[in-house]
Amino acid sequence: MTAPLVYLFWHTWRNRLTSRLKRLREPKYLVGGIVGGLYFYFYFFRHFLGSGPRGRPGLGPEVGFAMDIEGFGALAMLIIVAGSWFLPHSRAALTFSEAEIAFLFPAPVTRRTLIHFKLFRVQFRILFSTFILTLVTRRFGGFAFTHAVGWWLILSTLDLHFLGCSFARTRLLDRGVTNWRRRLLVLGLLGMVVGGTAVWGWRSLPVGELASGSGVEPYARYLQSWMAVPPLNGVLLPFRWMARPFLTESAGAFFWALGPAVLILLLHYTWVVRSNVAFEEASLEASRKLAERVAAVKSGKLHVMGGKAKRRSSLFELASTGPLPTAFFWKNLISAGQGFSPRIWIVIIAVTVGVSAGIGRSGLGSGWLSFAAVLCGILGGWSVLMGPQLMRQDLRQDLPLMDVLKLYPVPGWQVVLGELLAPLAIITVFQYVMVAVLCGVLPATGATRGWAVSLPAVALATALVLPFLNLLMLQILNGAVLLFPAWFQSGREAPQGIEATGQRILFLLGQMLALAVGLVPAAIVFAALFFIVRLTGMASLAVVAGGCGAALALAGEAALGVFLLGKMYDRFDLAAELPAGG
Amino acid sequence: MINVDGLTKLYGDFVAVQELTFGVQPGEVLGLVGPNGAGKTTTLRCLAGIIPPSRGRISVAGHDLLGQPLAAKKELAFCMDEPRLFEYLTVEQHLNFTARLYQVKDFRPLADQLLDELELSPKRHALPGELSRGMKQKLVIACGLLHSPKVIFFDEPLTGLDPLGIRRMKDSILKRARDGAAIIISSHLLHLVEEICSHILILKNGRLVASGTMDEITRRFSSETGGTDLEEVFFRATSDAAPEPGPRA
Repeated sequence: MTAPLVYLFWHTWRNRLTSRLKRLREPKYLVGGIVGGLYFYFYFFRHFLGSGPRGRPGLGPEVGFAMDIEGFGALAMLIIVAGSWFLPHSRAALTFSEAEIAFLFPAPVTRRTLIHFKLFRVQFRILFSTFILTLVTRRFGGFAFTHAVGWWLILSTLDLHFLGCSFARTRLLDRGVTNWRRRLLVLGLLGMVVGGTAVWGWRSLPVGELASGSGVEPYARYLQSWMAVPPLNGVLLPFRWMARPFLTESAGAFFWALGPAVLILLLHYTWVVRSNVAFEEASLEASRKLAERVAAVKSGKLHVMGGKAKRRSSLFELASTGPLPTAFFWKNLISAGQGFSPRIWIVIIAVTVGVSAGIGRSGLGSGWLSFAAVLCGILGGWSVLMGPQLMRQDLRQDLPLMDVLKLYPVPGWQVVLGELLAPLAIITVFQYVMVAVLCGVLPATGATRGWAVSLPAVALATALVLPFLNLLMLQILNGAVLLFPAWFQSGREAPQGIEATGQRILFLLGQMLALAVGLVPAAIVFAALFFIVRLTGMASLAVVAGGCGAALALAGEAALGVFLLGKMYDRFDLAAELPAGG
Repeated sequence: MINVDGLTKLYGDFVAVQELTFGVQPGEVLGLVGPNGAGKTTTLRCLAGIIPPSRGRISVAGHDLLGQPLAAKKELAFCMDEPRLFEYLTVEQHLNFTARLYQVKDFRPLADQLLDELELSPKRHALPGELSRGMKQKLVIACGLLHSPKVIFFDEPLTGLDPLGIRRMKDSILKRARDGAAIIISSHLLHLVEEICSHILILKNGRLVASGTMDEITRRFSSETGGTDLEEVFFRATSDAAPEPGPRA
């Protein structure tokens, strides 16, 4: 019965690869593939293939002090495994694709065969992770082969353990052992290990050792000494065996270390394969959730990842007549969710200003204020670049529904303007809060002492420029949707892999170039007005005047951008994006 | 009300629709039928202004769809086969949004009436994710009918509806036709087409193979072998040995 599954696996893999290779005939994918390939080469492979620290001894001797890396690795795995017994609450669920469920579950295929199919398929993910982790850890020295085999053993064993653990959890639930009873049991076992170790170690460990040394070293040494205390050392032993092949420094040591690690892997495999637990029902639900999550990620609807969309009230009543862009603004604000309701903003502003003022008056220290100022400055600056990337309640969100939008009797420029308004408002309000906090905090830190211009003037100029700058950024991103819709496609046809990475890199570069070009007129106007007004000797007024001019220049560009994007929207031919239909 | 002259749609080198010419008058219900890949959905998408035709002219309620797209779109509604909804808007919010886009003054009584007619009133605060496929289909239709369009396109309107929903939908379509709307229905359900359509247009490989009233079509294809129903007409018209298409205004 495994033959059909091997057939399915092989042909799925081969057809996917073939279609990806065929797609490279299209220039946009070929260019993306080349750029993506170069990126991966320079970031990863160069270190692997080129003059990396190949053949250097393992990680152990590279560390500044004689740290028991194997022990710490074992401890980390112990914590992960304990977590897998303590945290989850659901029944065993092997995640299959919806098509696999439709074909395999009703077919005369045994559970054990399905588990084997799943284990076999998971190996691709594990091998890929092994590859990436080996590339990363190779940068720190060691042997590529031992790293690769070591990572594979660790990841495979942990994966089998998670699966076996989920089966055991299901079996316990079937026998009436609730999740909380199981958790108490796990806590009890952990408590016995910790308690026993504490009692044993308290008598034998020198307490004063922690005080000597500097940095993390004394803590590491102290923890290391606890790891050698029974019964913890015994509990850690199998985990040490799992970690050992990765850390070996010679071929002989590697093969000696391989035996126990492989034995643990085989024991896990036997445990999983011999488990006869009904996972089908939970798998249906898990697979559905996975499909939803994948679709959400591919379509950029990250808010859906956490679950289904929630009912949200609108921020304002939408009248049935009035400007058309308002309808899109209203719709997209609902999409953005209650996280951006006025009440939340008022609370955030009140708390931030109140705390800032309180700290300032109490004179408790400029350290906190400096921290707040730096934080606001970073967040504000970051929001200019990343805000438009993250707030996607615009054409990027509505691209899958473009045929519905095209039905509406709304001019293209009004659709574009309406679509841009929600992310624009959200980002700008956030930035205004940051500017307001900075205005409140900066004087108290003393950072504005010696400034030739007043802080309110700088804040006003910034506040004038920000909305139009955000609009420009959003236009670049939305223009890309209209120009290269295939790059934003969701679902099965969405670009994936190296070529998709290359496309994103190219797109980011294009975005930066477009932004730089767009800022040139505003910068020229700002500089000209600033220097002219500066001649009067009023520097603050010069900044405000420059800000006004720059804002006007950006507004002009934004208006032109909305007009051009509207034309692009009107000409947007969905025939190229939609299937031909019947 | 709907006039199509020489409509042609190309996808690259592929001809999806070729030189299609027909008209639908107020009160008429035209059934658009054809095998899979005949070009029905492409035709409806062109007529609704979603995709531009490669050649030809389309007039909707006296407005040229290419020259005056906004005026034409204000008069039409397109209920797609697959319900396409905003996942974060409730049923009521969908209607509110649609009302603003079509500038429907005082839309609430009309929206309530539509929700009652389509049995969606208890679900007015539900999100699309909470609706069955049939209910989603009804919501799409409610949004389409909110602005009282003069021209309505239905693409497989009965998919996902229960028997009562099917009955109500048929009644609703016929009521709109009696009120003077020009309606085109694309469907594979030939008994539905036979039951509610006054005219038939059969497409095959993007080309018109037959059009006319139900009687005209039946007469034409039954002349050789005697009386027949639409199903027989369909098979004969779309078979390789079908006669050349006859003219229709």
